[in-house]
Formats: sequence, structure tokens, C-alpha cells
Amino acid sequence: MRSFLPAVAEQLFRDIQQTYHETSRIPDDLLIALKFVFGSCALPALDLVDHRSVTCLSSPSGRKAFQVLGGSGRLYVCLLSCHYCPCPAFSYTVLRRTEGLLCKHILAVYLSRAMAVTLQESVSDQQMSVLLSGTAAP
Amino acid sequence: MSSRKRKRYSKEIKCVFFPDDIKHGLQKLGSGTPSISSASSAKSWEKCGDSFLETPGLKDLQSSGRNPAAIRKLSESPALEQSSAALPVEDPVHIAWSASDSDHSDNEAWEQQRFCVSQKLQRGRRAARLVAPIQSYTSMLSELTPDKDDLPVIDTDSDLEESDCMSQLAREKPTKTPSKDSNEPEISGYASDGEDIGGTFTSSQLDSQTFSLQTDEGAKRSVSEWVKSAQAMLQTPQKSTDRRPRTPEDSARKKRKFQSGGLAERLNRLQCRQRSAVSFWRHEFVPDTSAAVDRPGVMVLEVLEVQEECGMQLALCEHQPPQRDDHQLCRRASERKTGRTLVLFNRETAAQLSPAPRDVIHIHPPWQSLSIEGFSCPVLLNTHFSQKVSHTCEPANVPFKFSAEKCTPYYLGKTFGRLDECGTVDKNHAKQGGSSDSGGWMTRGVSLLEAIEGLGQAGSVEQDVEVVAQRVFSIYMADCSPASIKHKAPVRPSNTPGVEEAKTRLCVLVQDSCGTFSVVQLQPLLASDELSTYRQMWLGRTCLLRGIKVLKRVTRERYSRLFSLIDSLWPPVSPLKDDGNSPSAPGDVRPACPAPSFCYLLSGQQGSIKPTEGQNVSPLHLPPTHRTLQDTLQRGASVGRCSFVAAVLHKRMQSNVGQREVWLVITDPSLQEHERPGRRTVAVCVSASCVLTSSVLKALSSPAVCHLSFTDAIRENGVLLCVEQSVIEPQVKPLPRPVRLDPVSVETTPNSLCSLSGVIVGVDENTAYSWPACSLCGNDNLQSSAERPQSFHCNSCKSEVDKPNMKFQLEVFLSSPSLSSCTLKVKLLQKTIMSVLNTTASESAEFQGCDVESVLGKEVGPMAVYSRVVTRNPALWIGLEEVCL
Repeated sequence: MRSFLPAVAEQLFRDIQQTYHETSRIPDDLLIALKFVFGSCALPALDLVDHRSVTCLSSPSGRKAFQVLGGSGRLYVCLLSCHYCPCPAFSYTVLRRTEGLLCKHILAVYLSRAMAVTLQESVSDQQMSVLLSGTAAP
Repeated sequence: MSSRKRKRYSKEIKCVFFPDDIKHGLQKLGSGTPSISSASSAKSWEKCGDSFLETPGLKDLQSSGRNPAAIRKLSESPALEQSSAALPVEDPVHIAWSASDSDHSDNEAWEQQRFCVSQKLQRGRRAARLVAPIQSYTSMLSELTPDKDDLPVIDTDSDLEESDCMSQLAREKPTKTPSKDSNEPEISGYASDGEDIGGTFTSSQLDSQTFSLQTDEGAKRSVSEWVKSAQAMLQTPQKSTDRRPRTPEDSARKKRKFQSGGLAERLNRLQCRQRSAVSFWRHEFVPDTSAAVDRPGVMVLEVLEVQEECGMQLALCEHQPPQRDDHQLCRRASERKTGRTLVLFNRETAAQLSPAPRDVIHIHPPWQSLSIEGFSCPVLLNTHFSQKVSHTCEPANVPFKFSAEKCTPYYLGKTFGRLDECGTVDKNHAKQGGSSDSGGWMTRGVSLLEAIEGLGQAGSVEQDVEVVAQRVFSIYMADCSPASIKHKAPVRPSNTPGVEEAKTRLCVLVQDSCGTFSVVQLQPLLASDELSTYRQMWLGRTCLLRGIKVLKRVTRERYSRLFSLIDSLWPPVSPLKDDGNSPSAPGDVRPACPAPSFCYLLSGQQGSIKPTEGQNVSPLHLPPTHRTLQDTLQRGASVGRCSFVAAVLHKRMQSNVGQREVWLVITDPSLQEHERPGRRTVAVCVSASCVLTSSVLKALSSPAVCHLSFTDAIRENGVLLCVEQSVIEPQVKPLPRPVRLDPVSVETTPNSLCSLSGVIVGVDENTAYSWPACSLCGNDNLQSSAERPQSFHCNSCKSEVDKPNMKFQLEVFLSSPSLSSCTLKVKLLQKTIMSVLNTTASESAEFQGCDVESVLGKEVGPMAVYSRVVTRNPALWIGLEEVCL
């Protein structure tokens, strides 16, 4: 059967981006809609965004990745082209039980992007390789 | 689907209906009698809940066509009507609605009020405020949540057990997969990092806010019960009494508060509010009331299909027509599209509801409706207030329990929107094509505003911004004091070696595709004449701005000159982009908006501005329009900036409070050929901040009449002013000779060039004198020769001068036929003096002196004179100087 939630999520992000761009604010209604659609990871994701925890890393070779500073201080490297996060919540909730669309880190990436509060950082190719290979490890 | 038309309703006080009305079935839309029985508050709540249902102002934005660009809208359920203080005074027990503007979710007082149990039985404190027709979901939600002071009857006992059970389950590890999993939507499946911020915080928030229990007999018991049930209903995964053992580190994290003023804090408050509203509604709402169907705002839907996705249930539903025969409802219904809608239920609601095909579901407001681009039907969100109304045809006990099919999980390889354009703080992709599409628009790149404001503090802007170079000019650098400029512009030819030119800096006034202006200060110019090269290269071109630093952001008040230039470039010649993100279609004209009120000052280096490849003039460029002086003078001072080409007839240096000013008298063919006299010449003041390049200085200092092109001069008080952003460049252009000048008249202003003829009627003897000058080099520096007393030694050409030339200074008073009551004092030139004195250069050596009488009565003129001083008190007195054009 066809999956609808991604379209809902995408639309929400579009709305957030537009509204935030126009008014520098996310209205309450969008916040509560986020909560509804993403469930319990919405609140922690917003907390991560408040703390500006999402950085976009780019390397000279042109590779990019997102790095999210989790609440525990751990850094999670999430990918740009697909949904993947090395955090346990992602493996459990999203992959194994398919009970969530995203984990809070990936959601934070989307929100940071929509609000344009992603930090930028350049890393060397070598560092990027290390980071990316780290995500591949189970 | 949703009704398009907003029902009109009076904005007056609406009030709650008492239970009796429900029994009668028909709701009276409009004001009802404001009495509330002192019966159960539950019923009051129901009524109160109903009251806001009366306004069905559904906004169907999908079809409204008002926002073509963004099809989505989160439309809200009908507006809430509030009753105000019309609630009866005599009724001691009723729900006191909190008067909050819940859009301002930082209304802490409201929060407290909501949860506070006050011992006074309050009166209806609902503020009488005008409710906007469309109210947001959250504000409606806030109005659903009553104060806790009047909850005398809450049937929580039965729920208590259940909730205890649930809370117990909540404590379990999720990996155990409790059987009542569906009742615990709030449990994060797996606490990542051992964290579980959401749940804990919610409970702690609730804890902190509840229940300063007051001594009120009736209320106390019920309140505490409510507390328990509310807590249970909130389904937090952990209870404070039963916390998993944590490392100290974890505890510290747990206690971490959300950032004050941040999004998480706000959402937390919102979701608390929502939870309590939902839980309260669930307890109080009497299900299966057929009358509920007809209330406006209630969605009546028949489920067609249900599927499960990510723990939520998605039901494809069809709108049902109302069953009542209320004329108003019918009208609304007829306007409603009977269509399909997708309804999302979260786990909790789905568990309660168990939607199955052919079920009829009522969704009470508030709910949210999301229109998704590309989807034909909207999606309903936040459908917490839903109840199932069994299909009348179906038997009460359905033997077979429907369970929704789980749909295949979504494909992780497809992100929700592109992530590689990380917000708008990213660098532009080099691969993005040319800057213009067919319309010649600048569609790529960020806007200056975004790029700079996204920085937060003044810093370096990393990404490239595409801009149009509207103006290119130069400014004197700050360390060059205006006073020293005095020495720079030689008024008369001199042999002294050229003084070092003041350092100038290149400046560009740029405008981005959204209309934002900024002045970019670039590198110092090696020679002031380099400006013309840059002007040629950049003026009007689309350029890329990179590697610039933000100096400051300036506003009109302090930088009025700059803004007069910006105003002259407004409105833009071609439509601007609305925002940096969504380029408006070509042909989309932005409605006329006021000129910008701010401008950035940026600084860059060489290479910060780079014209883009293969560019012709950008469509956004508004070039300076050169006009004739005639036009310029006629257009009035409000025109802003003016540009023209003119011949300089006379130049004069003046020092005005320590600042160097150069006054020029200019004319052009339009003034010369104009038949009606009155304005043959115009004065131009070149202020100290306007750069005079070396070529201009050279042209000015040459004896011939020079032509200059002036760009962006200001007209002020009848005088043209060249300021910082003005550019003066030499031109080559012939001027018909002879030059015609205005005669001196009563309207003569200072610093103007006129012609004069008259009769000498007096001599200023104090200023009349003569002195010898070297006949060979003309220098005044003569010394008495030591050897021969009669001859002189010239110090500059080092020669002996036997017969020096005499130079004279003479100021005379003239009377002119046209100016009878005016005193005209003219300082004459050597040539005129000599003709007046009837002497020649060769004879002047023997000049001993002359009588004033011999001069009086002599006619002079017509001559060109420069008016230095004009005073009108007590009578008109003009001090003039004869000039040679």
C-alpha cells in the first residue's frame, strides 16, 4: 500500500521553511503539527535545533554530510541523500519497528535546514572519509 | 470537502448552552440565554465545547486560489466563539475560560492560571474579545482546556485502574512490547543515548504546574482524582517514582531544561495543553450524541480504507452530508464539497477509535487540515477529538475485528525534500546555470538580505550573492582629511610640482535581485583615474559579490544623502523577486512598495566584485539619465539625483568651515540657447566628499573651457551639489561661442556668473594698488637689485629686470542702468584696469599714480563677472569679480 506520511512530512517542512523565511518564526500550529506527525522525536529534535546542533560538513572533494550533536555529546553523522542515522533510536524505531518516520537527529537536520540555521564546516577529505566510514559501522 | 464559505456570525458574546438545550436537539445558532445550571461541569464543558463549534469558518485554501505559490495551508477548524462576561453571575460553578491569546505561547501567566486550582469559585472570566473568524488550532485548543477549579465531578474511578495499568506499562522497557502498546504512543520506542527527554519533561512540567491545591471541599477530591487521571492519560513513559537507575551524567541531562524562548520549550507547552485538553475531552465528552453531528466544525466522515503507517493510522474517508435539516447547515453542506479526505490518527486516538471501513467518525474541532502539493485531498492532522459513531446498519457487536493493514515502510532513499541545499546558508553550486532564465531574471543565488542576516552578527559573508552594480564611484579614504585637499586643486596654473593626490577608494552601490541595496567599499585605487576603468567594466553589470564583510547596516535618518541616491533608483525598473527562495514568475509584478529603509555597508577587497560572464547590462540596472541643465533645473528639487554634461565656465575654491569646496559655474547648450534669459548658467558646489579625479583637476586647471559630465548630483536650494556618490568625469564636447551670460540683476545669487556693463562711479581707494612684476616670467617676486637702484632682480627666473611690468588691483563701484538702487562693486582684471587707466604694459613702468577723477565716468563692460557676495540688507549690495572665461 502506498505510503503517505513522507508527503505529509515534506509538506510540513516546506511550510516551515516558507513561514520561517517570511516571519522568522514557526507558528504554534506548525509546531503542534510536527509533534503530531513525528511523535516523540519532535520535541528533542526542536531542542537540538534550539541549540544549533546541526552542522553541514563539506569536504574539498564535494562530499557533504550532516553532523548532529546529540544531547549526550555524541556526534552523529547523517547522510544527505537518504535517511540514515547511526543512533540506536533510528535502528530500533525506524528500521526495526517502523514506528517512526525519523529519529530526532534526522528531524533536527530537516528543521535546521528549513530554518536555515545549519552551521557550516569544512573538513578535509581524509576527515570526511573517517566520518563517513564511521557511520557505516554497525 | 471543507466548506469554503465562512459563515457569518456575530462577533458578540456567545455563551454556553446549558444541558437542556442539547436535549432539545436543535442548537440555536446565535446568542443563547446565558444561564448555566449548576449541574455537572461536565455538561457545562460540553456546552462550552459546543459554543465554539458554532462558527464554521472553514478556510479552504486549497481552492481559495489566494496563494498559488504555496498550495498548502494549514487550515483550521472553525473559529471559536467566546462568551464573555455574559455568563451569569449567579452560577457559582462553571468553567472559567481563561482569556488567553494563545498565539503568544509565552504567556506564562495563562499557563499557571489554567492549572491553578483556586478556591474561589470564579465567575466567567472569559474576556470579551473579538474573535477573528479563523482561529488557529492552538488557540482553540487553549480554549478547550478549562480551569481546574470547577471539576466537581470527574468520573475517573473507572479510568483510574486503566490508567494505572497503563502507567505501569509505560514503565516497562519498550523492548518487551507491552500488549497495550497502542495506548502508549508517547513512548519513544527506544531511548536513544539513554535519553528520553520528551516524556520526562512533560511529566515534570505537569508536575510543576499542578495543583496548588486549595482547601475546597468539593473540589479537592475531584481535583486530585483528575490529577491522577490526567497524569495517567499523558502516558509518559516514566514516572518520577519509578525512574530507571541512571548515571549521574544521565540525570544531569534529564534535568536539562529546554532553552528558554526556544522552539522546544514552546512545543512542550503546546503539547501539554493539548494533552490536557484531549484527556479532559475524552473524559467529559458524552459519546454517541447524535446532535453532535450537526454542529458546525464537526467533520462527519465515513471511513473507506485504513492503513497503518509508522504507528499512525491513515484513514481515507469520505465526507458525509449532515442529517439534520437545518437551513443553515444545509447551506453549508451544499457548499461543502463531498469529497475525500485523508485522516491521520495517532496511535492513541487510533487505539480508542479503531477505525474500520464503513465506520462513521466525527472529528470535533479543533483539528488541522493540511493541503499537500500534488495531493487531491487534504490531510487532517491533530484529530484527537474524534469519536466513532457506529454505522446504524451494522450490528452492535461485530464479530470480526478489523485491523488496519500496515503499509510498506517508506523508502529511506528518498529524503523529504532536498537536503543537499542545506538551508540558505550554503554556498551556491557552481553548476547552477547562467544567472538568467528566459526572462533575464536573476534566479540563482541567495539574496543579500538572507546572506547577511543569516550571519547573525557582523561577519564575513561566505557565499556568493548576485547583484547589479547600479553605481560605481570613489570616495576619499578616511585618513585623508578634507583640509589637506585644499592643496590639491590648483585654481591657477602653477609651476609647483603636483602635490600628492589624495587616496581614493573604490565604492560600488549594488542591488540584489530582491531589491536590497548595499554600498560595497573596495580596495584603494592606485590612481584616482582608475575609477573610469571600473565604471566601464562594472556599471550596470550583474556581478558576483563574494568574500565581503559586513560593516554595518544604515538607515535613512543618518545617511540621507545615500538614501537620496537609493530613492532615485526606486522603484526598480524590472520586477524583483519576492524572496530569495521562490523566484516569482517573469511578469509577476511586485506591488509597489516603499523604497528600502536600510542599506548595508560592506567592505571587500579586490576581486570581491566580479562581473559574471557574458553579461550585457542587467535588466535591473537603472542608469543615470543625463538631462540638459534646462530640464534639470525645471524639474524641481524633489527629483532626487540629476546627471548632466556641462561646460565649466569658471571655477573657484572656497573653504567652508575647514572643508574644501569647489564652486563651478557651468552651462550647457540648453541654457545658452534658451531665448528667455534668466538662467544662463548654474552654480555647482563640489563638496569635500566628492572626489575630483586627477583628470578632472587637470581639465579644470587648464585655461580652456572644460566639459565635465556630472552623475548623480543633488539639486538643493537652486544650486547643484556634488556629494560623495557623485561622479565627475571629463568630457569632450564643443560649446558654441561666445558664451552668453545672464546680466547682473536683482536676482543674482552668489557664486554665479553674469555679465555686467556700467559706468564707474567710485573707486575703493583702500584696495587700489600696483606692484611691479617681472617682465620676463611674470612673477611678482622681485627684489630691488642691489647693483642698480632702478632695476629689479627676479627671484624666479634669476634675471635682471630693467623695466618691470606693473600689475594693478582696482575695485570700482559701477552703476548699471538696470540696477539703479543697487551697489555693485567689481574687482577688475588687469586688462580692464589698464584700459581704464589708459595705459599699456610698456607704459606702466612709468606709472606713478592717477587721480580717481580720471577713472570716474569710464564705461566698462560688457564683462563676465563672478558674484562673490550678495547682501540685501539694507539694500542690495553685490560684490563681483571680473573673470576671464
